[in-house]
Amino acid sequence: MGEKVPESSEYVIEMNHITKIFPGIIANDDITLQLRRGEIHALLGENGAGKSTLMSVLFGLYQPEEGEIRKNGQVVKITSPNDATALHIGMVHQHFKLIDVYTVLDNIILGAEDTKGIFLTRKAARKKIQDLSEKYGLKVDLDAKIEDITVGMQQRVEILKMLYRENEILIFDEPTAVLTPQEIDDLMKIMKGLAAEGKSILFISHKLNEIMEVSDRITVLRKGKYIGTVNTADTNKQELSNMMVGRPVQLVVQKEEARPGETVLEVSHFCVPSKLHNRNAVNDVSFKVHEGEIVCIAGIDGNGQTDFIYGLTGLEKPNSGSVTLCGKDITQNSVKRKSENMSHIPEDRHKHGLILDFTLEQNMVLQRFLEPEFQKWQFIRFGEVRKYAENLIEQFDVRSGQGPVTQVRSMSGGNQQKAIIARELDREKKLIIAVQPTRGLDVGAIEYIHSQLVSQRDKGKAVLLVSLELEEVMSLSDRILVFYEGEIVGELNPKETTVQELGLYMTGAKRQNRKGGEPA
Amino acid sequence: MTEKKSLIKGNGGQILFASIISILIGLFAGIVVLVVVGMTNNSISGSSIWDGVRLVLIGVFNTGRDAAGSLTFGFNPTFFGNMLFRAMPLILTGLSVAVAYKTGLFNIGAPGQYLAGICATLFIALSIPTSSVPAWIVWIAAFFGGMIAGALWGCIPGLLKSLLNINEVIACIMTNWLAACLVTWAFDSSKLKNVIDGTKTGYIYKTSTIINDVIVDGTRTVVGANIPEGATVLATRGGVATPKLGLDSLFSGSQVNGGILIAILLAVIFYIIMEKTTLGYQLKACGSNRFAAQYAGIPDKRNIVLSMALAGALAGAAGSLYGLSGNTEFFWTTYQSLPSVGFTGIAVALLAVNNPIGVIFSALFMSLLTINGQQLTSLTAYNEYITDVIIAVIVYLSAFSLIIRTWLGKRRKKRDEKSGPAKGVQA
Repeated sequence: MGEKVPESSEYVIEMNHITKIFPGIIANDDITLQLRRGEIHALLGENGAGKSTLMSVLFGLYQPEEGEIRKNGQVVKITSPNDATALHIGMVHQHFKLIDVYTVLDNIILGAEDTKGIFLTRKAARKKIQDLSEKYGLKVDLDAKIEDITVGMQQRVEILKMLYRENEILIFDEPTAVLTPQEIDDLMKIMKGLAAEGKSILFISHKLNEIMEVSDRITVLRKGKYIGTVNTADTNKQELSNMMVGRPVQLVVQKEEARPGETVLEVSHFCVPSKLHNRNAVNDVSFKVHEGEIVCIAGIDGNGQTDFIYGLTGLEKPNSGSVTLCGKDITQNSVKRKSENMSHIPEDRHKHGLILDFTLEQNMVLQRFLEPEFQKWQFIRFGEVRKYAENLIEQFDVRSGQGPVTQVRSMSGGNQQKAIIARELDREKKLIIAVQPTRGLDVGAIEYIHSQLVSQRDKGKAVLLVSLELEEVMSLSDRILVFYEGEIVGELNPKETTVQELGLYMTGAKRQNRKGGEPA
Repeated sequence: MTEKKSLIKGNGGQILFASIISILIGLFAGIVVLVVVGMTNNSISGSSIWDGVRLVLIGVFNTGRDAAGSLTFGFNPTFFGNMLFRAMPLILTGLSVAVAYKTGLFNIGAPGQYLAGICATLFIALSIPTSSVPAWIVWIAAFFGGMIAGALWGCIPGLLKSLLNINEVIACIMTNWLAACLVTWAFDSSKLKNVIDGTKTGYIYKTSTIINDVIVDGTRTVVGANIPEGATVLATRGGVATPKLGLDSLFSGSQVNGGILIAILLAVIFYIIMEKTTLGYQLKACGSNRFAAQYAGIPDKRNIVLSMALAGALAGAAGSLYGLSGNTEFFWTTYQSLPSVGFTGIAVALLAVNNPIGVIFSALFMSLLTINGQQLTSLTAYNEYITDVIIAVIVYLSAFSLIIRTWLGKRRKKRDEKSGPAKGVQA
């Protein structure tokens, strides 16, 4: 580095009174964010609160209409990401920017390579990275290819990339979304270690637990406005979520003891072939779901949950085994026949859930347009469709620009998900399958979706939930089935288990003996 | 009031505006070419350039040259009628491409489906003896026969796509040439080759021609309307052209017939199918997001085949109506080239942004350009291919119409902002 850092200012980065206006919307309205040297500063807010815009301003991707950015007390102009890099600002993006077929070492030095003539010299770089890795406890295998290492290690590679470039302001954009509980613990330790070494960290998240654990101070944004900055020691989760949403939020899922009734869904010895390899993606899975209970399939992403749901709902053909729904064997039925007793909130709402170029009302009747209520002599009854959509929109509080005729593509993620939930729950089917129903949504929307699922359970519906969020698994479910490499390795009661134990099952470190796949 | 406003300022208006801008730029480019060619070519004088410009723009209104040798303009029923006649198959092939596109399929197979249609139609129209079956029944059989043949031909790429996931563009191109060869072979071995008029070889009988199967001096032969003395008539065939429905007196001297009305009717019917019925809803759902449609229990594979069959039926109908016009001659050795009307259908659909009603107008516009091009050739020293240049520019620009639309959208947003805050999300 070599440059002398003037220690005159308390703050390493100050963003003062930043205002950024997009056509029709004020994304950042007079926002001030001050980052102290060596602190972990959390930036908290719902989706659309303006967190990303603010970070893009800091990164030089957007120019603010008003306000200034100071580094060490000096006003700086950041007009491009190159300026940000020159000021030693680095960012770990939510989706890693790594090249799969390159080694860890090559990924780290990419763009900042030492060369001798036209040849790469990796020796000095290797030494430097090894030192950094030891210093901060960032364990990586320098010669492994990115495609062969875990997501957790990929993230450590991203962090090393920033450190290798001697960044002192590190931005973490939703870093825990892809990690297992153990990996999250490790990351928290690493972040604390970095801060102790004098790095300043901006931590973007909407997960309150992590923010409470790791941060020193928290700045809350809501709808583009600055709400306040608090010391973590002086606040609690409830206060934070109230600040974030602007009203008191029910953080803990309110639900009574489940009263399971008749069996609704019975899956036995179910196998689904994999698209990636010759083995089964889902192998010999058996379980039951009863009315009036929420059964949750937990597991790390990619352990067969998606394939299982595809097989169950008919999007994929199962190899063997059987599915009995409401007393009828539906294993080989078409999607349409299967959905007679089944609602399905799909994992990928853009791919499976919605037709983005259609209007909201057209999407609301996606499964039902052939019913006599909505067509006569094969002519769509537009009046009825409109009435039905307006009813659902009001009942489920789906917000959009132009109501029923809004193009779904233009709606926010939360409202798109609400639209799917409205459509699926209104069909009043015995079994509700919800796959990651709260993915990417903010606290307010999550609260709403959780309460909807619980009320469906209390109405006597059977709910099968697939979730990667441990908090959701623990708080919402009545029973937990843990998937590991396509098999159920444990059936747990959320009241009797801990997140740590669940994590052990999820990573395959522990497994129950379920004879022949039958529930123990 | 607000409804009306949104219609003009809304999406539909913008699409229309973008298409019109494409047309205007295309015409402008064509005129530039005309002027440049005219100035560099010694055989074209300054007044010829001015004539050329006028002909390219309004050639359809030209009524020839007066005694002084300058162009005169006015309503010309012949050119107008011919414009309608040429638009007839273009509307249908344009519809064919547009309907498939709404289901997310690019039907480049319209030429093949057109050939399948015209082949079936000519065989039916010229083989069933009108001496024993009323001509109008033969006409109906020939028309629907052509549509069905086109539909079946369109099914092939549809089936390949839905069952084996073979790209429909590749399958369509192959079926085009397959059709060209099959049609050549079928007519080559048939008895429908025109031996009566005898002026040109390589043509099939016109559907309006009366053909008599006769026995003269003990040998069986085919003659025209004039039956030689002493011959025994076995059967009479042909004479099943589409009725003119009075259009010939409205547009005297032109080739127009009732087929144009059928084409327009089909466009309206397909507009209703696509916009108002459950079938159109399903097709569009599969086209916009096949996975979501599948998830919702809509049979996506069936719909892909169905969409290609409908597209094929429309292209087949184009061939059918063209064949049944009566005064058209079909040159049957098509194996070396594909009918251009099938490919022009792509341009027609593009310019109409795949709107079935828009297809009517864009097809009329395309045939107008062709008529203008013919005037250019016959009245000036210009080559008629200059109109192909204009059409090409317009087609390119209609592919850009999305960019033009985005640009229009941005302008609109800016204006809205100036006049007041945008209507926000309702609370």
